[in-house]
Amino acid sequence: MSTTAFSLTFLLMILLMLLGIPIAVAMVLVGAGAGVVVFGVPFLASTGAMLWGVLNDNLLTAAPLFILLGELLLRSGMADRMYGAMSAWLSRLPGGLLHTNIACCALFAATSGSSVATAATVGTVALPSLQARKYPMPQSLGTLAAGGTLGILIPPSINMIVYGSLTENSIGKLFIAGVIPGLLLTFFFMLYVWVSSVSSGKVPREALPPLRERVALMVHLIPPVVIFGIVMGSLYTGFATATESAALGVVVALFFAWQAKRLTWAMLETCFIQTARTTGMIMLILAAAFVLNLLISLSGVAETMTKSVTSLGLSATAMLLVLIVFYILLGMFMDVMSMLVATVPITYPIVTALGVDPIWFGIFIILMCELALITPPVGMNLFVVQGIRPDKGGIGDVIRGAFPYVLIMMAFTLLLMAVPAIVTWLPRHM
Amino acid sequence: MKQGIERVMANLFGVVFLGLSFLVTVETVVRKVFNVSIQGSAELGGYALAVGSAIGFGLAVVSRSHIRVDVFHERFAPAVQAFMNWLSAVLIAALGLFLVGVCYRVITKTVEYGAAAQTPWATPLIYPQSVWYIGLIVFAIYATVYAARATKLLFTGQRDALLEEFHPKSAKEELKDELDDLAQRTDAAPAGAAS
Repeated sequence: MSTTAFSLTFLLMILLMLLGIPIAVAMVLVGAGAGVVVFGVPFLASTGAMLWGVLNDNLLTAAPLFILLGELLLRSGMADRMYGAMSAWLSRLPGGLLHTNIACCALFAATSGSSVATAATVGTVALPSLQARKYPMPQSLGTLAAGGTLGILIPPSINMIVYGSLTENSIGKLFIAGVIPGLLLTFFFMLYVWVSSVSSGKVPREALPPLRERVALMVHLIPPVVIFGIVMGSLYTGFATATESAALGVVVALFFAWQAKRLTWAMLETCFIQTARTTGMIMLILAAAFVLNLLISLSGVAETMTKSVTSLGLSATAMLLVLIVFYILLGMFMDVMSMLVATVPITYPIVTALGVDPIWFGIFIILMCELALITPPVGMNLFVVQGIRPDKGGIGDVIRGAFPYVLIMMAFTLLLMAVPAIVTWLPRHM
Repeated sequence: MKQGIERVMANLFGVVFLGLSFLVTVETVVRKVFNVSIQGSAELGGYALAVGSAIGFGLAVVSRSHIRVDVFHERFAPAVQAFMNWLSAVLIAALGLFLVGVCYRVITKTVEYGAAAQTPWATPLIYPQSVWYIGLIVFAIYATVYAARATKLLFTGQRDALLEEFHPKSAKEELKDELDDLAQRTDAAPAGAAS
């Protein structure tokens, strides 16, 4: 298959997706269609065997288990109570409750894989009190939209599991690699809140509750912190694989839900149906992506494309800069998970051939997904935050409020390019 | 009736993964603490994923969770939107039938060679694969029923129903579901825990 033919095929697939054809269908249609044209009907025979191989892969079992874990924490109400506890400790900082928004999103992100659930839950608790205390709306909405994106960078992250599966990289390593960038990006977000509120002259600050009260509130932080500790600790020490650590997390979450007297069959049923739907949705596009992957690996198009890219004399840095532009443009219109599965089979071989570390590139892709969540016109988190605001402003407020964080994330991506060790140092010490 | 089947499928899914979680937890702890290896949970994890995914494919049809990009869709004329909704429903059904078709060979090969898993248990693969395959068939049936409904709506000119029932799931809808659940669990919170 020539590079031109493949590029046209790829463009056709993106076009079908943008027209509103289901993502999985577009990938299978193009992948299997081109496969049959190039290799004939035997291509379909290998498709069946490949699908069983992907769907029966125990490494990927981590995905439904982590989704279930996040659901349990959310539906049992454990996550809801974190805001109060966080605000008691953080709102004294210049920028007040805005810090709580970001820190709470970061902590929530650490336990849940869904940025919609993160922004919706934290936002619903936060926005009424932000409005009552006259915090400027765009800034408040911006912190929630941007904070919600941390969900896919701070492990556990479903997007990382999907990346790991597509590229045959260790999910455990990807998770560990996300820790330092996740914390650092949270820190930069909070630093921005601090600096911007000091420089604006209006410094919102909240009174510090008595120490006794603050300590008492910390009870609500125990479940998420313990679960995060168990999951990441067992991964880092090699005690458990990603799938095993997810199972441990599920069991501990069940215990906490039982202890809080929230473990009812109705609650579990909600968790089950949500987990099943999300799993079905993700696994179908992943299975579809593997059909595309099969076409790419059988046709050798990745090598051809890699050769033509290297023949352009592009350095790894230049290639990554091109990819940043490519992903920002694509992310403006596409759903994040779809963007990941549709592009990684092609970009990964090219970039790694140029010498980029595979784990580092995983974090890079995750950052591109985060950006896509808050860049208009299609930014899932922008819509979500707009949907829960208590006043009646336009979405322009959210876009404006989130824009500084878009710039911070871009600068952060450049920082990771300059100092890749931010990503690669921790997983190397596993 | 429809609700009933959905619930049964979701509960089956949930019980499989909760059971798996307990099993894996026990195995992991026993392996590390007592240095005794009871094998098998990794193998079962794979089967759980295969069966769970197939169940999920079907449930996602019902909740319209199979992702479609809606940015341009919303800007199309209603007639075009209705047509795209119909086309998407039909294509998902086609995908279901395609999966059933290409995976049929996997099943026949397994039967033909009497294939077993390359694990200490040497599980005959036909056991997990037949459950998985039934899941795929259920998905294909669900998707076909939905596609038939969409086709009926298209040919009887019920454009509004086609727009209403088959449009891509938007962020707004997803958010509404989240907020409903949030309201419910805040109401249900034990006294003193809601703050």
